[in-house]
Amino acid sequence: MSKPKLAYYLAGGCAGCDISMVDLADYLVDVLTAVEVVFFAPTLVDVKYEDFEKLPDGSVDVGFFSGNVRNKEHEHMAKVMRDKCKILIAFGICACTGGIKGLVNLFETEEILEKVYKETASADNPDGVLPSPKVVVDGKYELELPELTPARALDQVVEVDYYIGGCPPHYEPLRKAVSALLEGNLPPKGSWITGGHAVCDVCPRNPVKKGKKKRSVVEVKRVIEGEIPEDKCLLESGYLCLGPVTQGDCGALCPKVNMPCRGCGGPLPGTKDYGLAAINTIAAVLEDKDLIQKFLDPVYLVYRYSLPKTMLRKLDQEK
Amino acid sequence: MQKIEINPMTRLEGHGKITIFLDESGNVETTFFQVMEFMGYERFLIGMPLEEVPRTVTTICGV
Repeated sequence: MSKPKLAYYLAGGCAGCDISMVDLADYLVDVLTAVEVVFFAPTLVDVKYEDFEKLPDGSVDVGFFSGNVRNKEHEHMAKVMRDKCKILIAFGICACTGGIKGLVNLFETEEILEKVYKETASADNPDGVLPSPKVVVDGKYELELPELTPARALDQVVEVDYYIGGCPPHYEPLRKAVSALLEGNLPPKGSWITGGHAVCDVCPRNPVKKGKKKRSVVEVKRVIEGEIPEDKCLLESGYLCLGPVTQGDCGALCPKVNMPCRGCGGPLPGTKDYGLAAINTIAAVLEDKDLIQKFLDPVYLVYRYSLPKTMLRKLDQEK
Repeated sequence: MQKIEINPMTRLEGHGKITIFLDESGNVETTFFQVMEFMGYERFLIGMPLEEVPRTVTTICGV
């Protein structure tokens, strides 16, 4: 029997997910001997887009897509990956729900370009040139750049079979996901491949695990205010933590080092809009509704990793 | 004039493209290197609570 074929593409991401894959380390040796890597761009393998595009449709068994879809080239490659791969996995939180880089959707592209290429202290651009999809240099050299689009999650462009959250995905859940793939032992299509626990479930600060009751939130603080207790629930202590609504495949890494969860693990199964679920959950535990005035910036808090998937701007995007 | 595109540049983090222009006799006339990556942290970090910035900017590059 021939080995299953694997493809990997990094779109609008940071390669942290690629590093996570490489961090499988000892287990990676087993994976690499069990599969044939046909495409792993741009980080690991020298195959070019045009060579990958020549493969027959459906000829690759598993495709990992990391990063969000931020320009026309990502969009094109998302479609190519969908055509070539029998199973397509949104790998890491950017591909699943848009990621931190999805926060660009708060602004118009022109405004961001102006800021980056003209207004920053380090910008050295006396002629005020901005990148454009087509440019002709010296009147004869035609060059092209992919056109920017608002950031999108992978499933806003093509159909996705499975989701693996995390920024980046963590060793143990990733190892389990890859072995489930190799064994063909997969959950129903459209599922998140996850341990299925919320961050609170795996958090040592959770009062319920110590036989205590959860208390409501009586104050809201920034992490730079007061002293963060080492063993109390962060949310109860007033530090807005999104552990209750976030998948805990990370093992509650952030709360363990005194940092409240920001939701990189992705939504719990059944959640359509992570940000709305988060604000709903936090609102439900507040002692006094006026405490909501102390939220510094709700968008940066609850949509840190999932702005492109919000339902709130759906009308805007449809225009 | 012949145009050769190398896309993507591989074995690195980030998206780059090389375009080579050849003259009539097939020699390299000129070459361009383009970075296709554009994120926009410079803009969306403005307004973010300061204490959230360190763990946000670590996602500019994950290598």
